[in-house]
Amino acid sequence: MNIKRFRKELFSRSKLRAIIAIFVFLALWELGSRSNEWFGFTPPWIGHVPAPTAVLVAWYALLGDPGYWQSWYLSTLRVLAGFFAAMLIGIPLGLFMAVNKTFNGIVFPAFEILRPIPPLAWVPASIIFWPTQELSIAFVTFLGAFYTIVINVVGGAKSIDVRFFQSAQSMGSSQWDVFRRVVLPATLPSIVVGSAVGMGITWEVVVAAEMISGGGGGETGSGGGLGFFIWNSYVGGSYEQIVVGMISIGIAGFICSELLRKLGSFFTPWLKKR
Amino acid sequence: MSAVLQQAGKAEKGVLKGAIRIEDVVKIYDPDGAAVMAVDHCSLDIPAGEICMIVGPSGCGKTTLLNAIAGFHSITSGSIYLDDELLCGPGKPMAQPGSDRIVVFQNGALFPWKSNLDNVAFGLMMQGKLGKKEIYDKARSMMADAGLSGTEHNFPGEVSSGLRRRVEIVRALMNEPKVLLFDEPYRALDSLTKSVMHEALLEIYYKNKVTIFFITHDLEEAIFLGHRLVIMTSRPCKPKKIIDVDIPHPRDYSVLTSTRYRQLMDETVELVHEEAKKAFSAGEKEG
Amino acid sequence: MEIDQTVALLKRSMPFQTVPNDVLEAIAKLARYESYARGDVIYHQGDFADDVYIVSSGAVQHTLGIGFQAIHPEKILHSGDVFGWAAVLENQRSRLAKTVCLERTELIRINGEELINLFKASPETGDIVMSRFATMINKEYTLPEEVAGHVPHFTQVPVTVATGLTLTMFRLSQWLKSPKPYLMLTGFGILLATWYFTVEVWKLPRFVDMPGLTEVFKEWFSKDPIYGLSIYTPEYYQHIWVSVRRILIAFFLATVLGVPLGLFLGWSKTFREYVFPVFETLRPIPILAWVPLAILMFQGSETPVIFLTFLASFYATALNTMLGVETIDESYSRAAACLGASKWQTFKEVIVPGAMPFIFTGLQISIGVAWFSLVAGEMVSGEFGLGYVINTSYTMVRYPTIVIGMITLGIVGYVSSALVRVAGDYMMQWRVRELALGGR
Repeated sequence: MNIKRFRKELFSRSKLRAIIAIFVFLALWELGSRSNEWFGFTPPWIGHVPAPTAVLVAWYALLGDPGYWQSWYLSTLRVLAGFFAAMLIGIPLGLFMAVNKTFNGIVFPAFEILRPIPPLAWVPASIIFWPTQELSIAFVTFLGAFYTIVINVVGGAKSIDVRFFQSAQSMGSSQWDVFRRVVLPATLPSIVVGSAVGMGITWEVVVAAEMISGGGGGETGSGGGLGFFIWNSYVGGSYEQIVVGMISIGIAGFICSELLRKLGSFFTPWLKKR
Repeated sequence: MSAVLQQAGKAEKGVLKGAIRIEDVVKIYDPDGAAVMAVDHCSLDIPAGEICMIVGPSGCGKTTLLNAIAGFHSITSGSIYLDDELLCGPGKPMAQPGSDRIVVFQNGALFPWKSNLDNVAFGLMMQGKLGKKEIYDKARSMMADAGLSGTEHNFPGEVSSGLRRRVEIVRALMNEPKVLLFDEPYRALDSLTKSVMHEALLEIYYKNKVTIFFITHDLEEAIFLGHRLVIMTSRPCKPKKIIDVDIPHPRDYSVLTSTRYRQLMDETVELVHEEAKKAFSAGEKEG
Repeated sequence: MEIDQTVALLKRSMPFQTVPNDVLEAIAKLARYESYARGDVIYHQGDFADDVYIVSSGAVQHTLGIGFQAIHPEKILHSGDVFGWAAVLENQRSRLAKTVCLERTELIRINGEELINLFKASPETGDIVMSRFATMINKEYTLPEEVAGHVPHFTQVPVTVATGLTLTMFRLSQWLKSPKPYLMLTGFGILLATWYFTVEVWKLPRFVDMPGLTEVFKEWFSKDPIYGLSIYTPEYYQHIWVSVRRILIAFFLATVLGVPLGLFLGWSKTFREYVFPVFETLRPIPILAWVPLAILMFQGSETPVIFLTFLASFYATALNTMLGVETIDESYSRAAACLGASKWQTFKEVIVPGAMPFIFTGLQISIGVAWFSLVAGEMVSGEFGLGYVINTSYTMVRYPTIVIGMITLGIVGYVSSALVRVAGDYMMQWRVRELALGGR
C-alpha cells in the first residue's frame, strides 16, 4: 500500500511534467550552447553560455577543490552575520516603534528617507568606514535584511486586533504580560515573513558586495566567497565556473530559506493548516 | 408535487422541463490515498418544476451532489439525467457545465468588478445569441420585474447582501435555465433578511417555474419553500427520508404560523438533529 | 459630552474651524452624542439624510455610491472629520454614501435643519461654514462642484466652492497642531547632527574618513564642484537620465512580458505544470549572480545592465500576477462556466479583472527591485548611471560624490515608486469608472 502510494506520488502527472520541462529546458540550453561547435552557427545570447554538460564537468572538478568550499563557507558566514545582526537590532527596534508613538514619530521618518537608497549603494561608503572588508560586506548584508525585518515587525505589531488587548486586560494582564503574551506571539508570523524575505535579500546583497569589493578574505586574498568566485571565474575566463557559482549560490540561498521556513513554522505552530 | 403547481405549469407552458433523475450515484474522494466516501448510492427523482429542498448537516456531502449536477466535479459511479438526457454516468464521469443548470453560490458569485446590470447581462453576452441592445433591454426589464430598478449601475459591493442574492438569481434566470441549483445561498444572511428573501424567491418562482434544487441546513427555510424535503444522512450522504410538504402554493409568510407547518417541523426536527449530532462528533474526531 | 468638549471637537473640524465661540456653543447645544461598535452601519446609501455627523474618536469607512462621480469614492474618517453633509444640501434629502464603523466609534450628530435655522440668525458665519462644507465636499470627498454647490446660503452673496488652498491651509494647521512634524524634525535633526558631529566636529576614529555633511552639501550645490559633480553640472543629469532610461526600458519589458506570463501561469494548470518548475529552478539564483553571464550573453555594457534590471522586475511581476489569479475565488470561474462562458471568455472577463489589484501590487514591488538590481549592475559594469557614479567616485577617491550619488538615487527611486503607486491608483479608478459607465 505504502509502496503503491509512493509510486503514485513519484509518477504523479505534475511531477512528471516538471521533470519533462526541466529536461527540455536543459536540452535546449545544451543545443544552443553547442550549436557553434556542432553546426558552426552561434545563436544570439544562449550561444555564449557554457553548455550544461560542460558545467557539470567543471563542477565535478571543483568538488575536490578546498577553495570552492571555502567560498561557500565565507559567503554563508557573511550572510548569517548580517542576517542575525539585522534580526537582533531590527526586531526590538520594530517592536519599540510599534509600541511607542513618540519613538515611532522620531525614528520612522528618518528610517523612511534612508530606505529608498538601495543597500548596494552603501558598498563604497561601507568600505571606507569599516576597518576590514569582512565587516563592510557584513554591514551591507545587514542593511539588506534590516529594512525588511523592521517594516514587517512594525506592520505586524500595529495590525494586532484590539480585541486581543482588551481581552488580555480584562483577564488582568499587566503591561509586561500583554507585551510578552500578546504582542510578541501576535507579531511572530510577521517576523517570520520578514526574515524569510530578508534572507533572500541578504543572498542577493552578499553576492554583489563580494563582486564589487573584490572578495575580501583578509590578507591571503584567496577565496572571497561565492560572489567573488563568480567574478573571478569571469575575469579568469573560465566561463563554466561562472554557472557553477550561480547554481551554488542558488542552492545555498534555497537551503537557507528552507531552513528558515521550517524554523518559522516550528515557532508558529498555530498557523499550520489542518 | 402539488396539484396547484402542476395545473399552473400546464396552463402556462404546456409541459414543464427540468426533471432531474439521480441514479445510484457514488462519489469517493481520494485526496492522499485515503478514500473518503462523500455520496453513498444516492438515488433521487425530482420532477420538473419542483422545489426540492436537500436538508442535511454542514459538510455531509450535499454540495458534492450539487457539484456533480452542475458539472464541477466528477462522480465515481451511477448516473444523473436531466430530462432523460445523460448529464454524467458511465463513460462520462463529469457533466459539462451549461446555462441549463445554473448555480447560485453560497457566498455569492456576482462579479465584483461588473455593475449589477453587466452581471445580469453576462450570460447572454457570453453565449452571443442576441444583440447587445436586446440583451441589455431584457436585463433591465428583468431587473425591474424583480424590484431591482435603480441598482443597475451600482457595483455588487455597493448594495446590501440581500439585494445581491436577488441580482444573482435574476442573472441566472436571464438564461432561461431548466434548473436552478442553490448552494445554501442565504447562509450568511440574518434571519430577518432571510424571510424577505424567501418570499422574493417564491415570487420569482411563481413567475418562472423552473426546477429548484436547493441545499440548506435550515429546516424552517426548507419547509417554507419546498414541495418536498429530502433529509440527508451525515457523511456519506444519501437520502434518509423524503417528506412531502402539503402546504399549498402560493405561500406567504402566514404559513410560518400555521398548524401544518408546526406539525412538519415537529416531524422533521428530530431526524435532522440526529444527523447533525453524528456530523458534529465525526468532525471532532477529524480535528 | 460636555459643551466645551463638543466646542473643542467642532473647532478641530474643517467646516466649523473659524466659527466664533458663541455660535459654536449654540451649535454644540444641538449636538447629540452617540457611540457605535465595530462593524455598525451608521447609514446606508438612500437613507433619509437628517443629521450631520462629526467623528470624535474611532474610524468610519465612508463609501460614496458610484453614480455620484467621486474620484475617490472610499474614504476613512477619523477624529474631527465631518460626514453626513447631505443633511445640509438643498437638493438632497437622501444619503449619498454608506458608512460603517471600523472600530469602536464615538461621534456627535447635529440635525441639518436645526443647524441651517441657527445660521439664519448669523448669516455671515453661516456662509463661511457652508462654503467650507462645499470645499470639503469637493476637495476631500472628491465630488464634482455641482454637488458641492448645493449648500444653502444665507446672505445675498452666493456661496462659492473655495479653492483647494482653504483645505490645504486647514490640513496644514491640523498637522502643525499634532506632534508629528516636531517628532519628524527631531528625527531628521538627530540623523543629520550625528553625521555632522561624528565626522566634522568630534572627528571620531573611522568616522573622520567619511565625507562630512557640510562637505557633501557644499559640493552638491556648488557652481564649481571640486570633484566635478553637482546640480549645476550637466553630467549629473546625464547620469540620472541614463539610470532612469534603463529602468524605464526594463520595467516596461518586465510588465509587458511578466503580466501575461503570470496570468497564464495562474490560469492554465497544464501550462503551470510545465513552465513553473523551470521558473522555480532559476529563481533562487540571485539576480546579481547573473552579472558576468549577462555580460557574456549580451556583450557591450548597456544590454547586460538592462537585462539584470529586467530580470528582477520580471520575477516580481510574474509571481504576483500568478498569485493574484490563484486568489480569485473559484466560484467566479464556475459561475462564468454555468452562464455559458467559454474558457477564453472566462479568462478575459473573470481572470484578468480579478487579478488586477495583485498586478498593481506586483508592479510596485517590481519597480523597487528594479532599482536594487540596476545599482548593482551599474556598479559592476556600467559606463554611466548613478550606480556607476557611486562606484567610480570610490575608486577615484571622490568621497563626497559617493554620498551625492546615494542621496540622488534615494530621491529618484522614491519618486519612481510613488509614480507607479499613483498610476496604479489612477488606473484602478479609471477601470472602476469605465466599468461603471460600460453598461450605459
